Amino acid sequence: MNHRLRVADSAAFERQLGLAAFVIVLAFGIFLIRLFQLQIIQGDALRARSERNSIRTIRLAAPRGEILDREGRVLATTRPAFGLQVIPSELRRPDLVYAALGQLIEQDPAALRERSGEPRGARRFQPVRLASDLTWDHLARVESHRYALPGVLTDIQPRRHYLQGPLAAHALGTIGEIRKEQLETRRFARYRAGEVIGQSGMESVLESHLRGREGGLNVVVDAAGREIERLDEVEPEAGRTAVLTLDLDLQQEAYAAFESDASGEPRRVGALVALDPRDGEVLAWVSTPSYDPNDFAGGIDSATWKRLTQDERRPLQDRVIAGQYPPASTYKAIVAAAALQEGVIDPNERLYCPGSFRLGRRSYRCWKRGGHGDVDLREALVRSCDVYFYQVGLRLGVDRLAFFARGLGLGRRTGVELPGEQAGHVPTSAWKSRRFGEPWVLGETLSAAIGQGFNTATPLQLAVAFAAIANGGGLVTPRLVRNLHARDALSLPSGSVHRERVPVDAKHLARVREALVGVVQDTGGTGARARVTGVAVGGKTGTAQIVGLEQIEGLEDDEIPWKYRDHGWFVAFAPAEQPEIVVAVLVEHGGGGGAVAAPIAQRVLARYFEKRAPTIARAREAGSDAGR
Amino acid sequence: MLGVDRRAVQNFDWVLSGLTLALVAIGIGNLISAAHGSDEVLLSPEVRRQLASLGVGCLALLVTVSIDYRHLERFAILIYLATVALVASTLIFAPVTRGSQSWLVFGSLSVQPAEFAKIGLVLAMARFLHRNPPEEVRDLRALLVPFLIVAVPVLLIILQRDKGVALLTLLIGSTYLPFLYIPFRIWAATFAAGLAGLPALWFYALEPYQRGRILDFVDPSRDPLASGYQAIQSRIAVGAGGVTGSGYMEGTQTQLNFLPTRHTDFAFSVLAEEWGFLGGSLVLALFLALLLWGLYIARNSKDSFGAFIAVGVVGTLFWPAVINVAMVLGLAPVIGVPLPFLSYGGSALVVAMIGVGLLLNVSMRRYVF
Repeated sequence: MNHRLRVADSAAFERQLGLAAFVIVLAFGIFLIRLFQLQIIQGDALRARSERNSIRTIRLAAPRGEILDREGRVLATTRPAFGLQVIPSELRRPDLVYAALGQLIEQDPAALRERSGEPRGARRFQPVRLASDLTWDHLARVESHRYALPGVLTDIQPRRHYLQGPLAAHALGTIGEIRKEQLETRRFARYRAGEVIGQSGMESVLESHLRGREGGLNVVVDAAGREIERLDEVEPEAGRTAVLTLDLDLQQEAYAAFESDASGEPRRVGALVALDPRDGEVLAWVSTPSYDPNDFAGGIDSATWKRLTQDERRPLQDRVIAGQYPPASTYKAIVAAAALQEGVIDPNERLYCPGSFRLGRRSYRCWKRGGHGDVDLREALVRSCDVYFYQVGLRLGVDRLAFFARGLGLGRRTGVELPGEQAGHVPTSAWKSRRFGEPWVLGETLSAAIGQGFNTATPLQLAVAFAAIANGGGLVTPRLVRNLHARDALSLPSGSVHRERVPVDAKHLARVREALVGVVQDTGGTGARARVTGVAVGGKTGTAQIVGLEQIEGLEDDEIPWKYRDHGWFVAFAPAEQPEIVVAVLVEHGGGGGAVAAPIAQRVLARYFEKRAPTIARAREAGSDAGR
Repeated sequence: MLGVDRRAVQNFDWVLSGLTLALVAIGIGNLISAAHGSDEVLLSPEVRRQLASLGVGCLALLVTVSIDYRHLERFAILIYLATVALVASTLIFAPVTRGSQSWLVFGSLSVQPAEFAKIGLVLAMARFLHRNPPEEVRDLRALLVPFLIVAVPVLLIILQRDKGVALLTLLIGSTYLPFLYIPFRIWAATFAAGLAGLPALWFYALEPYQRGRILDFVDPSRDPLASGYQAIQSRIAVGAGGVTGSGYMEGTQTQLNFLPTRHTDFAFSVLAEEWGFLGGSLVLALFLALLLWGLYIARNSKDSFGAFIAVGVVGTLFWPAVINVAMVLGLAPVIGVPLPFLSYGGSALVVAMIGVGLLLNVSMRRYVF
């Protein structure tokens, strides 16, 4: 055993232990005094407060930034909404309170009671929201009876308001409470459960700019929930304003054009996108049927949600980027450009169209049964001759055609800011054998050459492809954000406007452009209904078949069931000499593109040039030569 | 070696056991209220886990008591190295949680090695001081070994990015400073050097949020909704308790979720609100009695190894208690240090029980020779 030292015998050790004991006693003595000071000296006031009053932390939501159109007109803003809450633990006679509230705000007391539930434990101290958007009258009535209703709170919350309702719903998007799986992602690392965020459209894209910074305050309230004293306050910081490239006038015109025309036709289902071919700025963005984003602003009710999700016309889908349709005859413009670039056809070479084309044992029809006779490239585009393009398609082959289609932006996303974009499809022989294990057959090349078969494209993709034809070969990235600013006008660096050059020389594109002007301006052109007085317009129609022609043979247009009717396309650009606007229109099951889609494009173009009077004056001089 | 001597049983330390039992019981009772969720389950998952840890702690206490502490001297270095190795292993194996690598995870069990390092530290220091009876320090080289014993785990814990625990470990090590008989001029030099190093510490060693907490302590209204918020709410909760408290499970400040981390770092403010000055001062008195009793055990120890173990254990209980209570009462900045016996946390509870086991061990064998 080790008996080296009995420390306790050492006076020094005793002294140090004494010092330690002194430090310990001193520390706990200070604590005791502090406890006395907090609980007994200051405690009297605090305890009185805790029995009859309490301190509440109120979060002050930051007003979300506004969204404006390119001319500064408000598309989405934030307005005050009056809310009603109760704190279950502070309700003296719940039955009476709910009955009184029901009367004051003209709602069923039982429903209010059900909304608050019967919370137990700590939850009974938490406010429960009974209403979130009271009218001014209801608020005033509740306020004037507040003295008799302890535990009832009213508050003002900023609420998103879309001034134009469903007009630009798909571009603007919706807001909604953050979902659980979103909270777990890095992007929302600094968000709390229950916060409201942009869930779709620009609201989602610009979330970090529009959000602002939440503030808060601690207030002392009395038993009736009235504020007695403000302790600490941090002002919320409003979100930044975003200016979009959209033009409200064009947006309104486009939306109205889908609503109905003069003849009182029923509402059209489809999409329209207008953009500036020089820089890709989107001027109008419509998808119909639309929905009212205001319905989402305060949490959507289940009946509305059910109606929107169960509607077979799918109003929530943004057809501009998520609707994929056969491009049909609009594709001929791309086939023509590819054929010229590859030199497989001379623009003056005439091919004969007897009304059908025989390949192997099958006969492929032209849409015009009588045939177009001898046509050159220009006439084939103006009159949309299928047989001409069957032959051009065969000369190119499907894979060369696919190369140019991709080069003009089809079959891949355009890169627009909005989420949910689909890529469409451009078939190749390799794709087909991979996908189906079967070789490509020539008959499918014929379908591909007129934009049918496996081809699909979104309206935005066709707008971008035509923008490239219109601007001489630059593939633009469409964009909707013009600039973002807080109080100071801070514009974003615009960056490169052209993603890349298309693989077609400018001179070939000019020839295609010239033919497309003929589509609208020539007598007998398929796009004649898109003419705008004083402006030379170019464009291409398209009619996408849903079922084989045989099935609806002999039926009059209005006898064909709606869902078997053709999709109508029209993609236009103007003015022909120096295009400033491209409009792509798709009408689902609307019939021929020249008949239903061209007039819609026409209205938007007309509105655009009406606004730009000086341009029209110039165009009128040029227009007198170009056509009627 | 194992087994308990008859005389040891006769000298069982009823005071220490009673004090410990009272604190443990209060801790569990308070946790039931503090961790009481909005659902109607009386025993929340935290309480159940804490009870399981208490079981492990009691077992560890019994094992610690049954080994004569004088045999521990031989294993002191081994235990120290093992605990330090455990801390080092977190740097390789531990996942990063909330910015630090403090937890070793085995399935549903997670262990905080830094807690166990305290025990290793105490045993190693006690052995060193026992072998090298303290005398006037003439040569700084004599301080190299005790310095290393403390510095190695502290540095490893700093590498875990757990600066609160690193500070705590450093303070526990410093408990032995008065027993090293360091001359006054060295104290003065160290103090001057520390003062000079303070600005560097402020700008390089502290994270921005830690600087924020210290500034919030100086001026709580600086950011009343964020980091100053806890300090303010804690003070309000304590103050609202008054003389007799708002009653068990009835603390509005705490049940209303005003207080974040109320079952861990702010457990004492829950107690003070619900039990008032009477409850708060009772707990403080129990702690005071336990710590003084620990010093009493050191004084009566038959040998210096036992005495220095007792001093060390008092240190491991004193420092977290002082930092935590000072924080809760608004006397110190918000540092995430748990209050022994009261705060939720399994590793801390087990280590506190082992500490009590060591004290009991030394106390029971004071007449055994």
